[in-house]
Amino acid sequence: MRYVSLALQYRVPIILGLTLIISAMLVPGYVSATTLSLGLDRAATIGLIAIGLTVLLIAGQIDLSAGSVFALAGIVSIMLQPQLGILPAAAAGVVVGMVAGAINGALVVGLKVHSLVLTLATMLIFRSIAHWITDSQPVTGTDIMFSLALAQIYLDVFTVRSALFVAFILLLHFWLTRTIPGRNVFAVGSNAVAAEESGIASGRILFFGFVFAGTLAGLAGVLQSLVTNTGSPVFGSTLIVTVIAAVVVGGTRIEGGKGSALGTLGGVLTIGALTVAMEFQSVPAYVQQVVSGFILILLVVLDRTVSTRRKATASRPSLVQGNPIKQGGSA
Amino acid sequence: MTEGVVDIARMKPGDRFTRGSKVVDALSKAGLLIAILAVILYGSIANAAFFSTGNFLNVLTSMSIVGIVVVGMTFVLVVGGLADLSVPATIACGAILSLGLQPMIGPVPSFMVAVALAGAIGLLNGVLVGYFGVNPIIATLGVGTIGLGIVQAAVGGVIVYGTNPASAELVKGRLFGIPVVAIIFAAIAILGHIILSRSFWGRWTLATGGNYSAAEASAVPVRAVKAGAFVITGLAAGISGGLLGLTLQSARPLVGTGYEFSAITAVVVGGVSIIGGFGSVPRAIAGLVFVQLLTNVMVLEGVRTPVQGFVLGALIVCAVGMDAALRKRGGA
Amino acid sequence: MTDAHCALDMKGITKTFPGVKALSNVNFSVKFGSVHAVVGENGAGKSTLMKVLNGSYPPTSGTIRVGGTEVRMRRPADAQALGVRMVHQEINLVPDLSVAENVYLGRMPGKWTLLRRREMVAKATAVLEELGAAINPRERLGNLSISQQQLVEIAKAYAADPRIIVLDEPTSSLSEHETAALFSILRKMRDDGIAIVYISHRLKEVLQIADEVTVLRDGSMIETRPIEGITAGEMISLMVGREVSNVFPKSPAAIGAPVLSVENISDGKHFRDVSFDVRAGEILGLTGLVGAGRTEVARAIFGLSQLTGGTLRLGGREPGIRSPSDAVKAGIAYVPEDRKGDGIVPAMCVRENISLPILRQLSKLGCVSHGADRALAGHYVSQFAISPPDGERRINLLSGGNQQKAVIAKWLAAKPSVLILDEPTRGVDVGAKAEIHNIIGQLVAEGMAVLMISSELPEVLGVCDRVVVMRDGHASAPIDRKELSEERIMALATGEEVA
Repeated sequence: MRYVSLALQYRVPIILGLTLIISAMLVPGYVSATTLSLGLDRAATIGLIAIGLTVLLIAGQIDLSAGSVFALAGIVSIMLQPQLGILPAAAAGVVVGMVAGAINGALVVGLKVHSLVLTLATMLIFRSIAHWITDSQPVTGTDIMFSLALAQIYLDVFTVRSALFVAFILLLHFWLTRTIPGRNVFAVGSNAVAAEESGIASGRILFFGFVFAGTLAGLAGVLQSLVTNTGSPVFGSTLIVTVIAAVVVGGTRIEGGKGSALGTLGGVLTIGALTVAMEFQSVPAYVQQVVSGFILILLVVLDRTVSTRRKATASRPSLVQGNPIKQGGSA
Repeated sequence: MTEGVVDIARMKPGDRFTRGSKVVDALSKAGLLIAILAVILYGSIANAAFFSTGNFLNVLTSMSIVGIVVVGMTFVLVVGGLADLSVPATIACGAILSLGLQPMIGPVPSFMVAVALAGAIGLLNGVLVGYFGVNPIIATLGVGTIGLGIVQAAVGGVIVYGTNPASAELVKGRLFGIPVVAIIFAAIAILGHIILSRSFWGRWTLATGGNYSAAEASAVPVRAVKAGAFVITGLAAGISGGLLGLTLQSARPLVGTGYEFSAITAVVVGGVSIIGGFGSVPRAIAGLVFVQLLTNVMVLEGVRTPVQGFVLGALIVCAVGMDAALRKRGGA
Repeated sequence: MTDAHCALDMKGITKTFPGVKALSNVNFSVKFGSVHAVVGENGAGKSTLMKVLNGSYPPTSGTIRVGGTEVRMRRPADAQALGVRMVHQEINLVPDLSVAENVYLGRMPGKWTLLRRREMVAKATAVLEELGAAINPRERLGNLSISQQQLVEIAKAYAADPRIIVLDEPTSSLSEHETAALFSILRKMRDDGIAIVYISHRLKEVLQIADEVTVLRDGSMIETRPIEGITAGEMISLMVGREVSNVFPKSPAAIGAPVLSVENISDGKHFRDVSFDVRAGEILGLTGLVGAGRTEVARAIFGLSQLTGGTLRLGGREPGIRSPSDAVKAGIAYVPEDRKGDGIVPAMCVRENISLPILRQLSKLGCVSHGADRALAGHYVSQFAISPPDGERRINLLSGGNQQKAVIAKWLAAKPSVLILDEPTRGVDVGAKAEIHNIIGQLVAEGMAVLMISSELPEVLGVCDRVVVMRDGHASAPIDRKELSEERIMALATGEEVA
């Protein structure tokens, strides 16, 4: 039992290590700087969305609409290129993500509805808008050269988006552990009523959590569209399962109150390593889906069974020993 | 007066009924009927094709396929299971197997196997949610992804066609002028209604959704009841998928996409509480009728598919918003 | 009354909700450096009054002065800014944050948004030390025991440097021993000049700690008096508006053979080697400090958790209980401690709640028989005088006492031979308490075996035939009614000699 709990404590590096070792054994030529940069680049898309979702999950909420926002933001950044130019159009795409997040946040906070159901609805709405404005056809950008520049590998490892992802993760880690708003996110996710009564504006925290998540999903979508020079209404339709899987692999609890940025980094890298390994072996996309679905279910089940056992041991009565105040009885 | 009655901050399922419950209840019921009548009225005025037997039969047929899923989904929401997102996978499973197995074992056994397998997917959901306490959305999302992936892998991502025209004729046929599919739907709806409102299982479902720990402490087998709701939905979606496959005589792996939303929309619009403990099959079907008629009017008016999706999404938002508002009013 | 000693002065406070007048024209004032108790039956308006004071409910009319200046409070943050702090009955903290973060929840020290963790931990350590609580401020709150968490809750209020501190039933999850410790903390705060408002059902505690007491009844202030010269009996008669002669009636019943016997039962975590038997016509009390394992024993007997060792016999046989439905079949019923959480299904009516455990017996071909269902509810509604006498009413519209009667009815419908009652009168007002004790008395007179868990010593002494005291997961030998005394129970519960 001690080994099990030890293994669980360090499960993120263990899972990541195992994935890498198994991949290296099964896939020839897996261990190289190219693979690393490729994996990081693949992971960056999931990763950027995962960063936003980490904050939301810690706060006890979820955003299922991230995949739709991803598609919509990408489409906007491509469609506006002729009018605005590449960079302003990209900025507009990110703003679309931000607005989508604000809509989610306002509805969740305003209507006091759980975000699972609400973002299920907005996922449908945002996806419909994506189909609406594109007539369900992919759209293409104006400048293919820009895409190539974005896909460029710097320092043998980083592309623009993977560098952005790593930078954001480090910032998130600092924010979650060292700042007051960061700690308040944990408070809201762990016990919203207590947080509220202690003067923490939980509504505001949740709202900005959704804005943050929407913005990052938008950013990921814009980068994806710029790299592929296309925007498509079907982009990201199966992304959300993978993203949730990555965050959960990283040890963030679905019910809120627990999670970390570095954990998410580990989870995202694991999923990235796995994706690249499967791509090397040309495993079809739907099998990859099966794998990420399976990992998600397995880890959530593991989490549940262990956390209930932990809780049981934690509530052991400590009684009088724990209470050092020595006073005569009242009688 | 109880002190808890006025405590809005600690609201729990059921608090929407604390005050003036009958008025609110009647209002929400009548509200839906009025909305349905309004849609019929608007449709009749706006489009000549709307108020015709042919069109209504059309609506009835398309409604029946979703309707069977709606019956199952009602149980999931009432038991406090939020939603079953694996419906596209179970529908695909039902459709593809009931067509794909025909050459091997004949149409009826194929249909049975398809429904049974869909039920098994439901059971997997149910075990994860009921016995392991996994969040239902996560569990059904994950299981749905796995199921759909396996179905796609099994048929290699291609379309499966039917080989038994007789079965298609049967399903597409009519009995006393009523589509057979609609009759099957009606039978399932009545069965579902009896189970939920009259049987002990239904009472257990309502109690489990209303207060899980109290139901558990009242010797209700809560885990099984929770799992049961997902099995019911799995079976319903399997039947629905099988009928869909037989009607279309072809099945793609993505044939069931969107059905989960249609079903959830109908149930939520029907006023079934999202947090469980309250709801009925007739309510959900009233919601379904409203949504289907609205969609039909939009189609006749030439509104494009994405816009319809948008309206559906907006309807869910409105319905959950209203549910929350009712709870709030009930509490204060 | 607007002198400098007056911490709080509420005048003519009225609060109405649609259709209900929760408070009418209440005057209430508290001096700095004193403990002011507020007592009243459930629904008397105590909680509403405190929510007005806390800023949760703005009053419909009336004025509030804090420290002599008139104030308006629209939300809890306003009250907190004025130095008013609440300690709620339920622990309301964040389990996933550290103790120090909880003590400074909502006001963590920092510059811009950067958290000064070291400063926060140092300050929290100082506060906890001052309260005499040896709790590591870096520990995750969720890892603490309930009573330690209660102390953190008090530390949190104290650390905010309050002028007025409101405690709502702070001892409901504390043992008598811990209550004594809490009282020494409160006296210290009082001596520091803090005004303390103390709400409690436990009149004995009020007599111990309060300087003044205010009695509320039906939303009105009945009387405010200094604690000297008032007795518990007088307080009760002010609360209910009549003289209650015997709070704990004990009707004699013929005691028969053992019905439920447990021998050396353990659950591997909370209790070990517990043995006792409950005889027909007997009320066996199970008491001890909170966390001693009493509720866990009851839950395990009822199949809500699993036994890892020992034998459980019912009428001589071993039923092998693995779930509540096994227990019900074997003839055990359990009225849980947490009525709102485990007792009632709020959205269901009284009838549906009562028939829940025996639905299958009431069903034919899977369908619940309407007539049998109604007859059952009607029977208990009239037998227990559940008010209002309407089985179709949603149970959460009933008062706490009537809800509790319905929960007991639910279990009697299952025709058990053993009834386990876990804190059956907690949070129930004085009148309903007597009614519930009457019902229990009738049941044992008819030969039922009753196992009653209670923390309230007067209740245990008043109604039980024998008492088993638990401490740290172990149970004492049963003590006979004749040999019972509060001192004896306390000594067994704490393991210390009590002065």
